[in-house]
Amino acid sequence: MNSTVIYNKSIATDVHFLLRLKWSEKKIPTPGQFVMVSVSDASTSLDPLLRRPFSVFDAGKGWIELLYRVVGRGTSLMSTLKKGDKVDVLGPLGKKFPTPKEKNKLIMVAGGIGIAPFYLLSKTLKNSKKDAVLFFGARTKVDARLSAPIKKLGIKVKVSTEDGSLGRAGYVTDAVLDFIEKDSVIYACGPMGMLKATAKLAKDAGVLCYVSLESSMACGIGVCLGCALKASEDVKKTKDKEYVLVCSEGPVFNSKDIEWEKL
Amino acid sequence: MGKVIKKSTKKTSTQLSVRLGTLELANPVITASGTFGYGLEFKAYMNIDNLGAIITKGLSLKPRKGNPGPRIVETPSGMINAIGLANIGVEAFINEKLPLLKKTKTKIIANIFGETVREYSELAKRLSDVEGVSALEINISCPNVKKGGMSFGTDPKEAARVVRAVRKATRLHVMTKLSPNVSDIKQMVRSVESAGTDSVSLINTIPAMAINAETKRPVLGNVMGGLSGPAIKPVALRMVYEAASVATVPLVGIGGITTAVDAIEFILAGASAVQIGTASFITPSASESVVSGLKEYVKKNGDIKKLIGALKV
Ligand SMILES: Cc1cc2nc3c(=O)[nH]c(=O)nc-3n(C[C@H](O)[C@H](O)[C@H](O)COP(=O)(O)OP(=O)(O)OC[C@H]3O[C@@H](n4cnc5c(N)ncnc54)[C@H](O)[C@@H]3O)c2cc1C
Ligand SMILES: Cc1cc2nc3c(=O)[nH]c(=O)nc-3n(C[C@H](O)[C@H](O)[C@H](O)COP(=O)(O)O)c2cc1C
Ligand code: FES
Repeated sequence: MNSTVIYNKSIATDVHFLLRLKWSEKKIPTPGQFVMVSVSDASTSLDPLLRRPFSVFDAGKGWIELLYRVVGRGTSLMSTLKKGDKVDVLGPLGKKFPTPKEKNKLIMVAGGIGIAPFYLLSKTLKNSKKDAVLFFGARTKVDARLSAPIKKLGIKVKVSTEDGSLGRAGYVTDAVLDFIEKDSVIYACGPMGMLKATAKLAKDAGVLCYVSLESSMACGIGVCLGCALKASEDVKKTKDKEYVLVCSEGPVFNSKDIEWEKL
Repeated sequence: MGKVIKKSTKKTSTQLSVRLGTLELANPVITASGTFGYGLEFKAYMNIDNLGAIITKGLSLKPRKGNPGPRIVETPSGMINAIGLANIGVEAFINEKLPLLKKTKTKIIANIFGETVREYSELAKRLSDVEGVSALEINISCPNVKKGGMSFGTDPKEAARVVRAVRKATRLHVMTKLSPNVSDIKQMVRSVESAGTDSVSLINTIPAMAINAETKRPVLGNVMGGLSGPAIKPVALRMVYEAASVATVPLVGIGGITTAVDAIEFILAGASAVQIGTASFITPSASESVVSGLKEYVKKNGDIKKLIGALKV
């Protein structure tokens, strides 16, 4: 779908941007879903060729918002988009985060730009669930500013920075450890290493854990089979599957379904 | 007025139809194997009835799980894939996908591959028994399989063995898909023709790799993969052109086609039809847009069939 840019502005740092687009698709994105963005105009440029996947950060009536970090050519091009520009967007795609159960205490764990899907999730939480906590791992205290929008929603935010410039020093997963109770449920998104550590944490504590995963994608709609990740022994036995597709069966998975050692 | 419009659309449709020997297509646009799933996935994005034909993901006798990741990487104007021919297997295709897929009026072509000649011929037999499949495309060229695949596609004698076995096993139209990884494509064309193929499609992906200088590792889990997309179009055009100089059966051009103009270039080089691959990943309805573009073209310029091999050199 061809969407018009409402705004595209830097947020928190000079490499993070918030892109708001008009949204006329009937399907409104739900928390955890993503879209595939054409970063170049396919009618004039064949490079970069493939669309880039982005979590939906926020969505309202007639618009969606993406939070992205400039890491390469595609995202650099995106950062030059201006109000009124057209971008082709495919979506919403993938499976959403399951709605947390009444009895469960929600712990969100985000690393860096992995914070993106948690804004919409936090926004759509029922009032009774507002005691949810977000553990946010950032590189520096400047990056840690990305958690401000979620804090504003009334969610408790606990920051860890790798350089110790703000909050707890060290990895975010260390901070989560002391916080897990038996009725906790963990939702995590971030770098693979962080997700792996979080999945292990959840397994050791015997609590449910959902992770939002990344993988190289070409199509985003389950046909190229390019985004496959190794499935756990469990899935192999029960579903006779060796791989799961991140785009169509995910990006949100129960952490038990993934073979973490093979990633 | 109504009558006039009807007449003109009828004219357009005959001007767009092409014949690949025994196989008649409403238009020359075919979706390429491995880039269009089992067809049904695209119903949400386009009208699959508007295509000339749909080619399925490569089918093997038993389901295949595929290669460890990363399976794809983007390169300038292209991508390299090492999916490893993951597929649901021929039985699941026949039982789960075909009943729904055959409802389309578009011709269905099953792409097949095996690790032995016998496997190819068994696949051909099995698919000839069922209703809804109009043709078989033999993949002798996929560069991703460690066993089988590669040797069939690069050796004219081995390729002919596969084609002969499939020819014997089926009455369906047989299309043979060639690998670009040969020094003499003309010899390959002659060889599969004499083995009885009804048409030849080319090219499959070009063997390629990508390296991450920082980690000093290959990007793909499988180390090597197949390059596709606009980056390979000039190579594909050259090979279709060379193949056309010797071919007596119809050719189907494949490689980096994203627009109707690209398709026309292949037709001029000698192809009677084209396949759209990677473009469907970027825009799921890309193949339908190529059909619309060709429709506009024949309205202005007349029958598409007159263009086949009409390149002025
Ligand atoms: C389901 C999903 C949701 C995502 N959501 C977001 C989001 O909300 N915000 C956001 O900023 N990013 C998100 N990403 C990652 C984003 O898609 C990539 O950062 C983007 O594709 C990079 O494009 P580029 O052309 O700028 O970088 P490239 O030029 O393609 O690559 C530049 C560098 O980034 C690395 N890189 C590329 N893609 C990824 C990736 N998927 N994961 C890790 N490293 C990568 C490359 O290896 C390379 O080193 C998401 C990815 C997925 C799969
Ligand atoms: C992800 C992917 C999977 C593919 N799978 C198959 C396959 O199963 N069988 C086959 O014969 N060709 C397969 N191909 C090759 C395509 O059908 C086509 O020949 C090639 O991609 C070149 O066309 P393109 O540049 O338009 O993509 C695959 C290509 C891609 C990109
Ligand atoms: S990205 Fe193509 S199948 Fe997932």
